[in-house]
Amino acid sequence: MKERKVLTRRVGKYEPLDLKAYEASGGLEGLRRALVLKPEEVIEQIKLSGLTGRGGAAFPTGLKWGSAAQEKETPKYFICNADEGELGTFKDKVLLDGAPWAVLEGIVIGAYAIGAQLAYIYVKGEYEETVKLWEKLAAEAQKARLLGTDVLDSEFSLQLQVVKGRGLYIAGEEFALISSLETRRAMSRLKPPYPSQRGLFGKPTVVNNVETIANVPVILAKGAEEYRKLGTKDDPGTRLFSLSGDVKEAGVYEVELGSGTLRELIDEFGKGTTGGRHIKAVQPGGGTSALLAGNSLDCRLTTEAIRKAGSSIGTAGVIVYEQGKSAVGIVRGLMDFYGLESCGRCAPCRIGVVRMKEIVERLSHGKGTTEDLEQLRRIGKACVVASTCGMGQAFPLPVLSALELFPGDFEAAIAKVSV
Amino acid sequence: MKMFNMQTYQNLINEHSPVTPENLFVLIGKIQDTFGYMPTEAVHDLAAKTGVAEARIYGALTSYKDFKLRMEDKG
Repeated sequence: MKERKVLTRRVGKYEPLDLKAYEASGGLEGLRRALVLKPEEVIEQIKLSGLTGRGGAAFPTGLKWGSAAQEKETPKYFICNADEGELGTFKDKVLLDGAPWAVLEGIVIGAYAIGAQLAYIYVKGEYEETVKLWEKLAAEAQKARLLGTDVLDSEFSLQLQVVKGRGLYIAGEEFALISSLETRRAMSRLKPPYPSQRGLFGKPTVVNNVETIANVPVILAKGAEEYRKLGTKDDPGTRLFSLSGDVKEAGVYEVELGSGTLRELIDEFGKGTTGGRHIKAVQPGGGTSALLAGNSLDCRLTTEAIRKAGSSIGTAGVIVYEQGKSAVGIVRGLMDFYGLESCGRCAPCRIGVVRMKEIVERLSHGKGTTEDLEQLRRIGKACVVASTCGMGQAFPLPVLSALELFPGDFEAAIAKVSV
Repeated sequence: MKMFNMQTYQNLINEHSPVTPENLFVLIGKIQDTFGYMPTEAVHDLAAKTGVAEARIYGALTSYKDFKLRMEDKG
C-alpha cells in the first residue's frame, strides 16, 4: 500500500505562505478555471466528481452547493469548518498549516459557486498558530486580490473572516458552528431546514470540512472526469487518514480510497503496535465510530466496505487499541470526553451522555452491576435513534459495539465486585 | 494581556468597523484575547452597536470555555 499525495503533495515542500511557490506548483489553476465558468457549471463539475464531505457525514458536496445556489434569499454564506474536534482526528491541521493556499482557493471557488460574498473559516481554538497563520494569509490574499473586490479581475467579490473557536467540541457540528458565529451558545438544531436553505442568520449557508474544500481546486484544475480516476467508482478521490493510538508511527497518511485494507494501513504506515501485541480493536472513523474487532480489519478503505464491517469511515481518524487493554477502559476514555460535551439541545443526548458516562465510570471502578450493562444498551440505543445531531446519534456507538464485541471485559469488571 | 482601557478597546473596534452581527463573534474573541476577560462595558457597548441583545451575548460568553467575565487572579 502506497501513499498517494494529492492534497498533501505541497505540504513541507515550501514555506506555506509563499504564494509564488504555490502558483508555480499549479496553484490557482482551479480558481482561474472556475471564474470563467458560470457558477452552475462549477457546481456541475463538483457533482460529476462525486466528492463527498470529509468531516464525517459524507454528504455529497455538489448537492449541498446546488441546494444553496438555488435559494433566492441573499446574502449567502460559505463556511470552512476547521474546528477539528473529533477524537483521533488531526488531518485538517496538516492542510491548514501545510497547504493553506489550496484551502483558500477552495473556499473562494465554493463561495463563487453558491454566490456568497462573505466566507468564514472557523478554526479550532487550540490550533493557535494556525489561527495566526490564517490571519496573515487572509491579509496576503487581499493584497494578491484573491479576496476583496473583483477577485482576480472577475466581477466576483469575497471577504473572509478568520474565526477562532472557543473550546467547545460541539461547535464543530454544522448547526452548532452556525449558532456560534451568530454569537449564540453552540447548539445543534433540528433539520430540515438544512443550512443550505436556512443557515447563518437564516440565510442559505454551506458548511464544508477543510479536506473537502481542499479537493475542490484539484477537481476544477483537472476536470471531474480526470479526478474520478482517483479512488473507486463509488468513492472517488483520496482520504487523509489520521492514525493514532497504540501504533509505533502515528501520523497523517493520504491514500487513494479503496487502495488497500484497514489492516494494511495500520501495519504498513503505523509499523505495528507499540507493545508488539496483536490488535484488539480499532475505531476507523474517529472517536464516535463503532469499534471493529482485531479480526475484522481486512475491509478495504471505502465507505461501503467499512460500513459492512460494522463501523463507519467517519472522519477517517483511525484509533488503534492493542490486546491487553480492557474494553471498559477504552469506552471509559471516550465517555470521559463526550460526557462533558453535549450541547443540551435535545434530551436523549443531554441526559443520556451523562448517565452513560456515570455507568461506565462505575464499571471501571469495579462497582458496576449486570443491570448496568442492560441500562447502557438501552440508553445508548435511545440516543442513537432520538438525538437531534450527529453527536448524540454517534457517541453511543463505541459503547454499544464494545458491549457486543467484548462482553467478557464487562463481565470481568462486574465480577470484581462480587468476589 | 493588557488591563482594560477604553483606548485599546476603541482601537479594536476601529479595526473591525463596522461592527455587525456578522463579525461580532470574532470581535468578542479579540477582546477576550487582548484583555483576558470580557468587560461589562464592552458587552454593553457591543450590544448597542449591533442590536444584538446583551442577554444573548452573555449567553454565548458563559457557554464557551475560553471566555471569562472577570479578570483572572494572577495567583
